Amino acid sequence: MAVDRRKVAVFGAAFVLRLLLICFFPSLPDLLTGRVEVSTPVNSFKRLQEGLYLYTRNVSPYDGGVFHQAPLLLPLFSLLPDVKSNPVPTAVFYFLVDLLNAQALATISESGQSVQSRLHSAIRKHIRWDGVSVAAWFLFNPFTIATCLARPTSVFTTSGILFAVSNAVDGNSLNAMLALGFASYLSLYPALLFVPLALLCYDQRVQKCPQAPSTVVFILQHGAILFGSIAGLLGLSVLITGNFWEFMSATYGFHLLVPDLTPNVGLWWYFFIEMFDSFRGFFLGVFWLHLASYVGGFTARLRRQPLFIITAILGVFAIFKPYPSISDASLYFALLPLYRHLSPLMRYTFFAISALLYSSLLGPAFYHLWIYAGSGNANFFYAITLVWSLGLSILLADSIFAALRDEWEQDHPEAKGQEVKQV
Amino acid sequence: MPAAIRNLRSDPQLLFVRLPNLLSLLCIVVGVVWLLLLPLNDYSRQTYISENALLPGQVHAYFTGSEQNIFRGYKKELEGLINEEREDGAQNPEVESTPAISNKIHSILQAAGLKVATQKYEYTSAGITHRGENVYGIIHAPRGDATEAIVLVAAWKTADDELNLNGVTLALTLARYFKRWSLWSKDIIFIFPPDSKTGTQAWIDAYHDLHPSSVQPLPLKSGALQGALVIEYPFDHRFKTLHIVYDGVNGQLPNLDLFNTAVAIAGGQMGIGANLQEMWQHDDSYEARLKTILRGMTKQGLGYATGAHSSFMPYHIDAITLQPKGEGWEDEMALGRTIESLCRSLNNLLEHLHQSFFFYLLMQSNRFVSIGTYLPSAMLLAGNFTIMAIALWMRTGYHSDPKLSGPTGSESSKLKSEKSSSPGTQKDVAETKTDGSAVAERVLALPLTLVSGLHLLGLVPLWIFNTIFHQYFTTVTYIFVAVDIVLPLLLAALLSNGLGISTPIVRQQYLLIKSFALLLLGLSLSTLATLNFSLAFMIGLLCTPLSFVVRLEGAAPLRYAISSLGLVLLNILSPPTVLIGICWYTGVPIETVLTQAAFGWDVWGMWTQVVVWCVWWPAWLIGCVLLGSSMF
Repeated sequence: MAVDRRKVAVFGAAFVLRLLLICFFPSLPDLLTGRVEVSTPVNSFKRLQEGLYLYTRNVSPYDGGVFHQAPLLLPLFSLLPDVKSNPVPTAVFYFLVDLLNAQALATISESGQSVQSRLHSAIRKHIRWDGVSVAAWFLFNPFTIATCLARPTSVFTTSGILFAVSNAVDGNSLNAMLALGFASYLSLYPALLFVPLALLCYDQRVQKCPQAPSTVVFILQHGAILFGSIAGLLGLSVLITGNFWEFMSATYGFHLLVPDLTPNVGLWWYFFIEMFDSFRGFFLGVFWLHLASYVGGFTARLRRQPLFIITAILGVFAIFKPYPSISDASLYFALLPLYRHLSPLMRYTFFAISALLYSSLLGPAFYHLWIYAGSGNANFFYAITLVWSLGLSILLADSIFAALRDEWEQDHPEAKGQEVKQV
Repeated sequence: MPAAIRNLRSDPQLLFVRLPNLLSLLCIVVGVVWLLLLPLNDYSRQTYISENALLPGQVHAYFTGSEQNIFRGYKKELEGLINEEREDGAQNPEVESTPAISNKIHSILQAAGLKVATQKYEYTSAGITHRGENVYGIIHAPRGDATEAIVLVAAWKTADDELNLNGVTLALTLARYFKRWSLWSKDIIFIFPPDSKTGTQAWIDAYHDLHPSSVQPLPLKSGALQGALVIEYPFDHRFKTLHIVYDGVNGQLPNLDLFNTAVAIAGGQMGIGANLQEMWQHDDSYEARLKTILRGMTKQGLGYATGAHSSFMPYHIDAITLQPKGEGWEDEMALGRTIESLCRSLNNLLEHLHQSFFFYLLMQSNRFVSIGTYLPSAMLLAGNFTIMAIALWMRTGYHSDPKLSGPTGSESSKLKSEKSSSPGTQKDVAETKTDGSAVAERVLALPLTLVSGLHLLGLVPLWIFNTIFHQYFTTVTYIFVAVDIVLPLLLAALLSNGLGISTPIVRQQYLLIKSFALLLLGLSLSTLATLNFSLAFMIGLLCTPLSFVVRLEGAAPLRYAISSLGLVLLNILSPPTVLIGICWYTGVPIETVLTQAAFGWDVWGMWTQVVVWCVWWPAWLIGCVLLGSSMF
């Protein structure tokens, strides 16, 4: 196999850039690790260190009430040298994970699934970026770099999701489900991607062999695989922690019930701080239902483009998850360039990106005014997280509009280029 | 009305070229006029004490009579020591931080019953080493639990580098006097740093365990600091008014309640007038008010430490400096009583000062404007860049209009077939229709790379000006003036040749470069306006021409003439030229200013330079490149 020179250059440059950043600014990783925009209670590297400390001293890692991440991360990280005295191996490990993610993205892009799937063929196919460009877009995105340097464990969830999708577009539905099982095991919410991912696998299967089983049977089979993989991982976790219910309530219970209201870029924390306790259960249900309901809607409406459903749902996660961070946004931004052919149809890109830029500058400034200078208050930061979510929502809604318009133009070739009017 | 809107939509020249220009200009004019309106009675407010617990001037101050004898005694002792030191080593400029004097203060404080400790520190900046020793003592509150403390600072050198003998003596006398009271509910810390620039910074950093390795940790600590007062009294005669200095590092201000309390106590209880911003003759006229505001804004915008109190601000500790000024009949006892009363007020606090404003512009000792009233002026200035950026972006999207799509049809057809210059991004062009509402494909790679690259380039002068030795500052500044003349022309020439690697740059890309540069500028300035209003306003004002700089087209001779004239004018507004101009106008050597700036960066954590080199300079450079490209 010939080595793609451009790819080597991009991947090498991304690696060297990250390495230079930690060499020239050795305090940068710790600074980023402490930022609420990057580290949330469920992915923070600092909390992982705490859990690791307890684990290596044979205390249950969940005893301190600080660590809320999956137990299998602990044996993995206990293999790496101590971060305090020797931070480079851990950092390099994260760089490599980033490169693997980029590789998965390149695979997804090169499959062409985003422009040409079983039921859909985009009109502007020729406007496309190749795999290396999409990978470069991901690797040189400042949000990705910041995430990589801050070492949150959500990077592994990202890998799980990206590998699930890249395997699915290659037709390896078994591997896809195993990867999704890994992502779901780490942070629960990727399980919501199951239906669109299974549809993606199904479309690939049908294209390869026409005598494929019916959709329902296929989905049930793959549901069983997913379930099996998660069960296997949970079984391993029990071997490590010894106490099933303790780690279940400390990890998935924590994800579901949102007890820690540390500020983050999402919309939940402020809302639940303000809420009277008696309504908490109800609104938890409503918020989760709201998040999950997108899956059904998108799947039904965009059935012809399963990969786009996954992209859109990842965008929804970046906005409406209980503990979102910029790593979720960076995953969404990583998949968006696959839909380069939709950009002529998008109308508010500039405004959405401006809103995102404004909020990424003003967010840290207002957080500083609130926490350090003491001259602002929580509303300052919350207002900016609203702007951030607004920017993401505009981008998401605009891309969905463009995808629908693309489908519609495919169905009505005569109406191509006509102005849209609300009736 | 609908007809007017339809007209507007059908006339892209008006919509995308004239209207944004007009709107931008309007934003700038309104922004400046807004600031000029602030001193009027309708837009400013009378100050008031917001925190009721302060109760300023409600207690009798007992610091009189026999305490004056103690003051004289301490002063004699210190004077004697200083004279001895002077005779021993007259060449030593830092007479006040010698061990003998440190020991003297140590023993006086100890005799008064305070716990005393010392801290040595050393800072190096621009090749100059600053070292000294802080002496400090703590009165433990008889009624408190050592969780909160008030700080009194008397530096040996005032902010103007005068010997602060009376101030130090007064602080010593107050330490002895305060120790005998049983009413304190907060600890009181007395600090005697050798100078106003470094000592308090070293002390406060070490107090919060954030000190660099060249600074010793503090052996003795107390609780959370609630407020700090700095005493200066650098002369021997009696004084007339109190000058209150309140600006902190990076334009951070103390809570307005602290300033108000000081004014209320000095004016109401003691009958001493209060001044601010060196306005000795304040007749409450519009001009005087505006001048006060502008002086305050200059200090805030430059962001340097104006006194020993400034170092406290980044730690969210409200602090002011009290400087006696003028010839009058108030003596050191009156100053002492003022400080006693202020300490009593701070002693009353139940929680950290938070009630009143943190963002304000003072125009008189009893009049101010708050952030809600003044912020729009800086935001309008920043908004003008954003408006222009959005308009330019939209303008690049429409290319049906021949006037807008480039000087020749061949160029826009070139655009259609163009592949972008960056190797990582390959672009094709959308099918476009002829009805004018279609979106043109934008070629983003080159503009994005150029704009972000030039912003990163700003790190180079930032690094240079904060690292080199002080004796080279003047030379380097002049070198940068030369670089600023050559670099834009060089970049413009390179750009018009397509950087040698790709097809020539087209008009759309020039517009996109300007759009991105202005977007970033507007973005940074509006963020900055929430942190340091004055700096954002000043930079915004200096950058206003950049909104209107375009790549000229037309007949060659005229184009050359106008663009060279424009470049000369822009070069007058370049960061190094502005620095030279200001230094020339105020008569301060460039070296002094830049040494102070490098010192601020190294010791105080001042980030004015970052704004200058990574926000202002790149935006200015791009403006010059655009204008310069008219020549090629």
